[in-house]
Amino acid sequence: MKPMIQTKTWMILFAALLALLIAAALLVSHRGTGKIANVYQDGVCIRSIDLSAVTEAYSFTVTDGKGHENLIEVAPGQIRVAEANCPDHVCVHTGWISDGLRPIVCLPARLSIQLEDTAQSETEGLDAVIG
Amino acid sequence: MKRFFLLVTVLCFLLAGCGFDAPSTVSGTSTEIVEEPSDTASVPESAQHQGELPASQPFDVRLFAMDTYMELRAYGDGAEDALQAVSSMLTELDQLLSVTDEGSEIYALNHGEGQPAAVSEQTYELIEDALALSRNLADALDMTIYPVSRAWGFTTGSYQIPSDSQLQALLPFVDDTQVVLNERDGTVRIPPSAELDLAAVAKGYAGDRAAEMMKQAGVRSALLNLGSSTIRTVGVKPDGSQWRIAIQDPQDSSGLAGVVTMGEGAMDTSGGYERFFTGADGETYWHILDPKTGYPAKHGLISVTVLSETSFLGDGLSTALFVMGLEEAVRYWRANGGFEFILIADDGSLYLSEGAAERFSPIGNYENAKMTVIKP
Ligand SMILES: [Zn+2]
Repeated sequence: MKPMIQTKTWMILFAALLALLIAAALLVSHRGTGKIANVYQDGVCIRSIDLSAVTEAYSFTVTDGKGHENLIEVAPGQIRVAEANCPDHVCVHTGWISDGLRPIVCLPARLSIQLEDTAQSETEGLDAVIG
Repeated sequence: MKRFFLLVTVLCFLLAGCGFDAPSTVSGTSTEIVEEPSDTASVPESAQHQGELPASQPFDVRLFAMDTYMELRAYGDGAEDALQAVSSMLTELDQLLSVTDEGSEIYALNHGEGQPAAVSEQTYELIEDALALSRNLADALDMTIYPVSRAWGFTTGSYQIPSDSQLQALLPFVDDTQVVLNERDGTVRIPPSAELDLAAVAKGYAGDRAAEMMKQAGVRSALLNLGSSTIRTVGVKPDGSQWRIAIQDPQDSSGLAGVVTMGEGAMDTSGGYERFFTGADGETYWHILDPKTGYPAKHGLISVTVLSETSFLGDGLSTALFVMGLEEAVRYWRANGGFEFILIADDGSLYLSEGAAERFSPIGNYENAKMTVIKP
């Protein structure tokens, strides 16, 4: 009998179990909310927003230091570029997005907004949209 | 406790999304590789305990290149490194082929005042292939349409309707049969006032090269979205099922027209709705120009999707079939084959080649659309 080792083993097991429980709780809550919008500048994420936690609409401006400005509006469950000073306004015309299939892209500002594909059923198990 | 930390580390990766904290950049490129968050069910416990991500874990790269936004996703061993290599390749290719970048090979050719200039072997071969395809497609595709496109503002986004005399003055230089390739010294000659632009096939070519690199790196499953109208796949999905790609509803930017299932290959779409403007006259003017007239190609089609083995072919063909219109497109397909198509006409009806019909199911507004299957 080696009680010390046994205690240590139990402690590790307990810690692992605790970690698993925390992990499970976090993952469940993460999946439950599950609508994360990521804002990328030149492919690099600059902001993550949990759209399902948004209760009141708000907006913020993203600038790139080269004169491009995009006013991003966040509302419960959805996100859009409300105003931009790019010449083509493709980002504004895309309108609100609420699923992970189609990103909002502003080519001149090298800005993209994309929802993490969480609930596959929402988008009928699609891998991409072409158009 | 080691296990505990490993587990926490794995969970941090899974939960981070792309991070509420400071962004991390991959040195040397403007891309970021992000471990996608995943359902608990798809993460085997053993993998968690080893502190490793399971083989089906996707890796994503997003980048701006070739005047478009690309999203590359790959699965399994070697995926992360392969994506890194591919994004470097795409950035380099962009620098070689850009029409506007003063350091590009194409820029040098276009500003060579009619003198032959040497280009890299890779660019030479691409020009050769592009011109061969263009020749095969006769008047429906021309690699020297760029000055006309610029007159409309489609190259900058500052749209305008050029005068008819302006277009008539540019049209004589839209003729890629005048580009001279010299195999002996590897030079290319662009006539003065003409400008070569490989945009019609560049993304497709990039897709094929990316797919090749992925396969050489041992990646067996990847979905390469080279700017929303060119998709190139490697293998099938990690679970062995086919990819499911939806075609956008050309009349409703938030809607879908149908779903195509595919294994390894290419899918390319061209539509007037991708880039257009409404003129002061109330008319819609889109970016797909008819090389014969210099005006937007309006020949009854609003969306053309091509399924083919290579995205080089699909990229060029989707534009060309759009310019041709229904009857000529079908005639071309019957004479040449080698691809499948899904055409949406401006009255909302669908025309599919037999092979495409087997893989297509209409959805949304197109669920009850008139569908005509065309036999070879
Ligand atoms: Zn924009």
